[in-house]
Amino acid sequence: MSLIVAAFGFGLVSMSIIAISAVGFTMQFGITNMINLAYGQVMIASAYAAYALNNAGVSIWLSLPVGAIFGAVFSFLLNRLVYAPFQRKGTNLIGMVIISLAVSLVIANVMLPIVGYYSVSYHQDPGTTYHFGSIALTGEQILIIALAVVVMLAIYALLRFTRLGKAMRATAANPTLARNCGIPTARVVDLAWLITGALCGVAGTVAGMNSDSFSVASGSEFLIPIIAASILGGAGSPYGAMIGAVIIGEMTEISAAIISPEYKQVVAFAVLVLVMVLRPQGLLAKRGALAAAG
Amino acid sequence: MLARHHRVGKGAGVLFATLSIALAACGSPTTAGGSPSSSPLLIGVIAPFTGADAALGPAYFAACLPAARAINNAGGVMGHMVSCQEFDTRGEPADAVPAAQQMVASHSNLMAVVGCTSDEASSVAPILNQAHIPMFCMTGQSEFNKTTFTYFHRLVPPDEFDAFAMVGSALDHFNYKKVALVFGNDIGSQAFVGPAMAALQGLGATVTINQAIALGQPSYRTEVTAMLATHPDVIFTEALGPTDATYMAEVKQLNNGTMLPFMGTSATIDPVWFKAVTGAVGVQTVVDKFTAVDLGVSFSGPGYDEFKTNLDAVASQFPAAPTYSQRGATLHLYDGIMQAALAMDETKSTDPTVYNSVIRDVGNGVTGATTVNTYAAGVAAIKNGQKVRWVGAGGLTNYNQYNNSQQGYIIVKYDASGNEVTIGTLTQAQTAAIIAAGGG
Repeated sequence: MSLIVAAFGFGLVSMSIIAISAVGFTMQFGITNMINLAYGQVMIASAYAAYALNNAGVSIWLSLPVGAIFGAVFSFLLNRLVYAPFQRKGTNLIGMVIISLAVSLVIANVMLPIVGYYSVSYHQDPGTTYHFGSIALTGEQILIIALAVVVMLAIYALLRFTRLGKAMRATAANPTLARNCGIPTARVVDLAWLITGALCGVAGTVAGMNSDSFSVASGSEFLIPIIAASILGGAGSPYGAMIGAVIIGEMTEISAAIISPEYKQVVAFAVLVLVMVLRPQGLLAKRGALAAAG
Repeated sequence: MLARHHRVGKGAGVLFATLSIALAACGSPTTAGGSPSSSPLLIGVIAPFTGADAALGPAYFAACLPAARAINNAGGVMGHMVSCQEFDTRGEPADAVPAAQQMVASHSNLMAVVGCTSDEASSVAPILNQAHIPMFCMTGQSEFNKTTFTYFHRLVPPDEFDAFAMVGSALDHFNYKKVALVFGNDIGSQAFVGPAMAALQGLGATVTINQAIALGQPSYRTEVTAMLATHPDVIFTEALGPTDATYMAEVKQLNNGTMLPFMGTSATIDPVWFKAVTGAVGVQTVVDKFTAVDLGVSFSGPGYDEFKTNLDAVASQFPAAPTYSQRGATLHLYDGIMQAALAMDETKSTDPTVYNSVIRDVGNGVTGATTVNTYAAGVAAIKNGQKVRWVGAGGLTNYNQYNNSQQGYIIVKYDASGNEVTIGTLTQAQTAAIIAAGGG
């Protein structure tokens, strides 16, 4: 029993990281109509950007904004230079998915000669370990959880209370109507890529911190639970992605305690399949923050 | 639901994707030393260069480059220059099959193929055998112990022997009695588990827990907590990529900053693994707490010196090459390529159906054969009408009827620079007893 409780505690960390990344991933889809399978690779590229600074002697927490900025700029450029031209030409959703897959492979293979195939680790101090019954979390892990909470609240505030958030929701709901209503949808999309790219960069860096070691190949592994959480919550729904992250993060850890570590992802995906059978649109698709008003 | 504007696809995305994937998957041949020839020969390095086992491919590429350099500097194989090309399997059989088929279909000048790890050997070896291409594989799978593939060669023991050697080291050298098995859930790593469990239980030791961990996960804290609760004396492991680094860092963290002793297979004697794990747990922790078994290679002698000279010289093409100077697999695959080249010289043929059967003779030596340690010396001896026996970087070769060659084991650790330090050897008697206990 104590192992299950401990696994629940570790699941809090996992779900925090998945939440940050899944919200960014699903917002990209919701606002820009792009299922960006290069998201995991951009996460890793951002993690390496933060690593470059961290390896030069800067604290990883101070390097985190560099990861976020890198992710934002990289994602923005990726859309402007690759995705947007294809979308303008009318490439359909499946075509765009394949393009993003190709972009992911290209990024990975371009990174290999630059950063090498070696796994790297941040120079970091996990801090004091705090015990809450059977749950043991380091100071760093508690900070990651707190960061995720702050990011989720910020996204909520952005979407609910700001003009940009409302413009994003309008663009997601009907870009043509939004444009006719005077919303500068092109600028909204640019800002959406910058914001979601920053989330991607933050997620990549904290994932690198949490895993103690990462490599170029980690991108695809990181992407799997992100997609699962996003689909589980309802594609395009940030709040759904948050709930999906909780379920996927906890299911993977608790299943590792109860069944076998080998099947932790299998169990998470079994839950995903079950939800898809019972509710194909995902948990919150109809009530997501980006859904059309009314 | 979100409103969606549906558009008609133009196919451009698919074309871009296809081109990108093709570009990502294919490398270009690398010629080491010498000058280009009008009819060059190619050595295919088919192995994981991306994916969880991406660290393996470069170790094998590092074998090919110095071999090609040595051959080319001696004038090539009967004048044919030799080059190396990577073929990425991603460590997945599903990707390995098209990679092998593409390699065979696109290159009629393959003189040999090296690599083929346990991740992909089962799917790649039949293709290469059917195409009559001599292969030197790093697979440890026991299915190749008595293989019928006549073009298959293996200069390393099966994985089960690695597992037996780990058990022998733990029980006889360190007196550990309680062992936790933490291996990746990939085909290659899992090959160790069954033999290790059988040998441990047969010799009265306890397997406290057997964890098959999914590679590349962001965290293993739940798994580590479960493992620590069993209080093992030592952890046996092989989980490549960043996996071992993540797992061991969490062992140290969740064990109040104290690392448990951990022991690796010969695949963990690798600069990529060393850098990953030391980055996560610290160099001193690895130096103090980690041991491994490795193939019995002395890292000395004229054959090794020749290899080392050429390995250092190819750093301009592959900067990491010199870091593989003590990687057993790199040494042995280098030897395999040399044996194939000398077999071609002896038979005066570039037709694999002619020279393949002579590879074993070059490795084992026939009666009256002249021992050679460099390719140039081999060519000179052959020109003088002599048969040759190759004794190269990895020492003597002893192919059996199935083209499997095996040597003894050494117990090793790392020094702070990542060099291998021998701390013991397993006697034949020890090894035989453990193999018998494990049912090998």
